Parts: sequence; structure tokens; C-alpha cells
Amino acid sequence: MVTKHKFIKNILFSLLILVIVLFAVFPFAQMISTSLKYSWDWGNPSLVPLKINWESYGELLGLSQNIKDLPESVQILLEETPDLTKEQKEAIIAKYRDTGDVFPFGEYFLNSLLFASSSAFISLIIAILGAYSFSRMEYKGRKVIQRGVLFVYMFGGILLLIPLYKVSVALGLAGTQGGTILSILIIYVVQTLPVCLYMLGNYFRTIPFSIEEAAFIEGLNHFQTIWKIIIPLSISAIATVYIYAFMIAWNEYLYASVFLKSYKDIYTLSIGLKSLFVSKNAIWDRIMAASMLTALPVVVLFLLIQKHLTGGMTSGGVKE
Amino acid sequence: MKGTLQQQQARLGVRLISPAVIIIGLLIIYPVFYNLYLSFHSVKLSGESRFVGLSNYAAVIGDAEFWRAFLSTALYVFFTTVGTTLFGLIVALAMNKEFPGQGLVRSLLLLPYIAPVISVVFAWQFFFDPVNGIFMHLMVDKWGLYAERFNLIRSPQYALWVAIIFSIWKNFPFTYLMILSRLQAIDQNLYEAAEIDGCTGIKKFFYITLPEIYFVLGSIVLMRIIWNMNKFEDIYLLTDNVKTLPIYTYFKAFTGALDMGQGSAISIIQFAILISFIILYVKKVLKW
Repeated sequence: MVTKHKFIKNILFSLLILVIVLFAVFPFAQMISTSLKYSWDWGNPSLVPLKINWESYGELLGLSQNIKDLPESVQILLEETPDLTKEQKEAIIAKYRDTGDVFPFGEYFLNSLLFASSSAFISLIIAILGAYSFSRMEYKGRKVIQRGVLFVYMFGGILLLIPLYKVSVALGLAGTQGGTILSILIIYVVQTLPVCLYMLGNYFRTIPFSIEEAAFIEGLNHFQTIWKIIIPLSISAIATVYIYAFMIAWNEYLYASVFLKSYKDIYTLSIGLKSLFVSKNAIWDRIMAASMLTALPVVVLFLLIQKHLTGGMTSGGVKE
Repeated sequence: MKGTLQQQQARLGVRLISPAVIIIGLLIIYPVFYNLYLSFHSVKLSGESRFVGLSNYAAVIGDAEFWRAFLSTALYVFFTTVGTTLFGLIVALAMNKEFPGQGLVRSLLLLPYIAPVISVVFAWQFFFDPVNGIFMHLMVDKWGLYAERFNLIRSPQYALWVAIIFSIWKNFPFTYLMILSRLQAIDQNLYEAAEIDGCTGIKKFFYITLPEIYFVLGSIVLMRIIWNMNKFEDIYLLTDNVKTLPIYTYFKAFTGALDMGQGSAISIIQFAILISFIILYVKKVLKW
């Protein structure tokens, strides 16, 4: 009797876990599945494509020709005129491609990468100095700063958006592409800075002070200690914080949508995807492939640091 | 520049923290006050702003659309907070047991939380798509719950609920991790003692587990309320038919008439509501 009861309990428990996992990953399964389906297969509720279609990935990554956007008559012409040279064919394709909207996925990807990696880097440097300061040194106002750091997350993005944009316009930054880049970079730094300070501060406090004391006796000054002792000792925490800051900037939409609006060349992935996929009926496969490729770097980075990140997150160092 | 060693250290400490303090001061603290200033002015994007007293606030409060946005925000915040916390608690209790494949499940469960919003909204839209989506396939063709296919995510009636479920899906991983780490810190002797006294599973939950995690639950709920009240992307990118206060502010300030003065006023009102709520909550629930 007891074993039977336990058996049923185990089954129910497994079911519960299964349901939870399905709920969490279903949209991702949907994404992969649709990105690999041909358009005639979209209405099919099964997640397994009847025939695998790599075209949309090839197209986004610039590997394959974007034939699909060409008018049908031109496609027929291209297929049924065997005596066209390769150059001639390419010229025809290029001519028609200019009129359709080509998805500059690679360009947006690069923009996102540059914004996210550089703002996270600046934020990290400032945060290392700041966190070292309030976790190690004594001065007036230290506690206020230390506690106030997370308090600033009560101010949601929308509260700061209007004044920051107004200031950027008044300073003449929003009027030029260079100024806009600078504005967005600074904004991303400030968005990630508090959480970096908090997480690093928590970590630095766990490093025994005696190690630094030894360094001081050896004649190192504070900067040398940070460079030669603190940073090497906390390199995994620093990498974690960097990736976390990178993710915040990579995922950001609100500020990008306002500041970058009239600068198509510096669109990030989030506003690029949103603006290009307004009408979606014909291009679900491309949308899903782009979604996959946008999520991929973050997911990969995350899996690398998962252990450290979940620790940092649960100690309260988070931002949304 | 001499002084004692302590004074020297203090000076260096201030110098090291100052870039961070200056940046946060200039780009977070100052804009909050500037926003307050703007809310009392008629604001042009470039050029002079004119002082108009409380008329922005009067215009906002007299606007029926503001109250609709207010109601949407209240519903959104309430149901997402309750839903995320309850679901997170269930998942945490389940993940607190050991089972084969737990490491993999752990990683999979974090995906919704870490994936960029923009990369997951399209999959959700496809799921509810009237032509191709599985949801309508099940509801209409399989189970016959609706007479015909329609776009659930765009319908004014259902869009808010889709946004709420989306938010629960997106944020439960964080909640469950926070609860789980507290669960794992509970002293196992408490449970053993309870068993000796004859407590069953449910009693153990209510008399030991729940009091032990009360504080962390309280903090999670508070954070959820703050974050979800300020939420923009999770709603705006998913559906065009839900207008919470941040989205209403965005539309007021950056589309159409570009009324930044009124936009500021809305965001100040929203902030005031949030702050009063937080103070009340911290006193009553967290008992600080």
C-alpha cells in the first residue's frame, strides 16, 4: 500500500515538473519550429516541420540570395533564362532588392553588440572603483551611498525618459548621430551602474581584508591593490556582472525607441525588429529566425555564467 | 595633502566613488526633479517652456483615458504580482525536492527570464495568431469553445489577460529562485521536530515553511509591484491594445501632439501613487 501511494505521488510530481517545463519552454519551441517551417506549413499545429527550411536563417545571416522578395515574373525570368550570366542575374536581383525592404540584420546585430559591450564595459570600470570604495574605505556618507544604490530602481524608465530626452535635445546631442550615440551610451551606463555597484560591493566584502593588508605591507598603493589583488581574485564575479550589464543593454527597448528613432543606421536589434515586423503575415519564418538569433547570444552568455548569476540575482542584485 | 592615514584613505574613497555618484546624480536624481519641473510647464521639444501651474495635472485627471489606463495598471499589477508569486512559490516547492535531470530543468526554467523581450513576443503573437496559431486551432477547431477564429492578443477584451499571463511566464523564474534559496536555508530540524509532534505535509507548510519565507515573499511582492507598475516593454511590444500608465505616458509625450508637460504629469502621478503604496506596504506588511 505504502509503495503504491508513493508511486502515484512520484507520477504526479513528474507531471507537475513536466507541466512547468512545458510552460516555460513552449514559446521557444514555437520559435524554433516556425523559423524552420515553410509558409505552407505554418497553419500546421505540429511543432515538427514537415520539411526543414533553412532559408530564413541564410537570408538573415547574408548567406543566401533573397529571392523571395522578387516579383514572380522576375523569378520566372531568372529561372527560365539559362543564358544569363551570373553577373547579369545578380544585377537584376540587386535592382529589385533595393525597392523591397531588406532586413539589415547583421548591421542591427553589430549596433546592439557595440552599444551593449561598450556601455557594460564603462559601467564595470566605474563600478569596480565605486564598489571597492564603499566596501573597503571609511568616509562620511558611505552608508547612504551604499544603501541608496538600489533605491534608484524605484524610478522606472518612463519617469526618467522625458527629462533625459529633453536635456539631450537642449544640449544639441539628440540632433546629431554622434550625439545620439553618446546619449544612449551614457544612459545605458547609468541603467546598469547601480546593479553593478551593488553586486560587486557584495562580492568585494567577501574577500578577506588580510590579503590586501599583506599587499600594503609589500608597498602597493590602493590602485595597485585593486589591479593586482582585487580584480584577479574576483574575476569570475566581474565577468558575471559584465555579462549581466551586457544583457540589460542588449535587451533595452524604451530609450532606444525614442532616441534612435530617426537614425536608421544605428538601430539596435530591439527597435529594428519591432519596426521591420509591423506587418507580419508573410514573413513569420524570418521573424522567428531573427528572434532566435537575437536571443541566442544572451542565452549562450547566460549559460556560461549561470551558477554565479543565479547566486548574484538571489542576493538581491537585480534590475528589470 | 598630508593628514592622517585615515583622512588620506577617506579622501581616496570619496574620489573612487565620485564618478558613480556624479553619473547617478546627473542622470537619475536630477532628471526626477527636472521631470517635476516639466510637469508644471507647457513644454515644447525645443525652445522655451511656459509655466502653467497645475493645468497639466488638471488636464490629465479630467481625461477619461487616464482613468482607463489607471484601471488597466491596477489590474495588471495586481494579477501579475499575485500570479507570479503563487506560481513562483509552487515551482520553488517542486524544485526544492531532488530529482534526476534537475540541473537541466533549472537551466530551462530560466530561459523566459533571460531572453530579450523583443525575441519572445513574436512567438507569443504567433501562438495567438488567428490564421496560423495553435491557440485558435485548439479553441475553435478542436474544442469548439469559440465560434470563429479571432486575434486574442489584439482584442480589447482579452489583450490585458494575455499581457498578464505573459508577465507571469516571463518573471516567475526570478521569483522561484528567490524563494528557493530561502527554502534551502530553512533548518531541517524544524521539520523533524514537527514530524515527531505528528504534523502532516500541509501543516508543516503552514506552520514552518510559510512563516520562514514570509519576509522573502513580502520583499518579492514589493519588488514585483514596483517593477510591474513601471513595466513598458513587456506590454507595449506584445500587444497594441493594453494601455497602462507608462504606455499612456509614452504615447502622450512621444506621439501625436508630443505633450511632454502632460506626459511628465502622468509619470509624476504614477510615481506618487507608487511611493505612497510602498510606504504603506513597508509599514504594514514588512513591519519595518
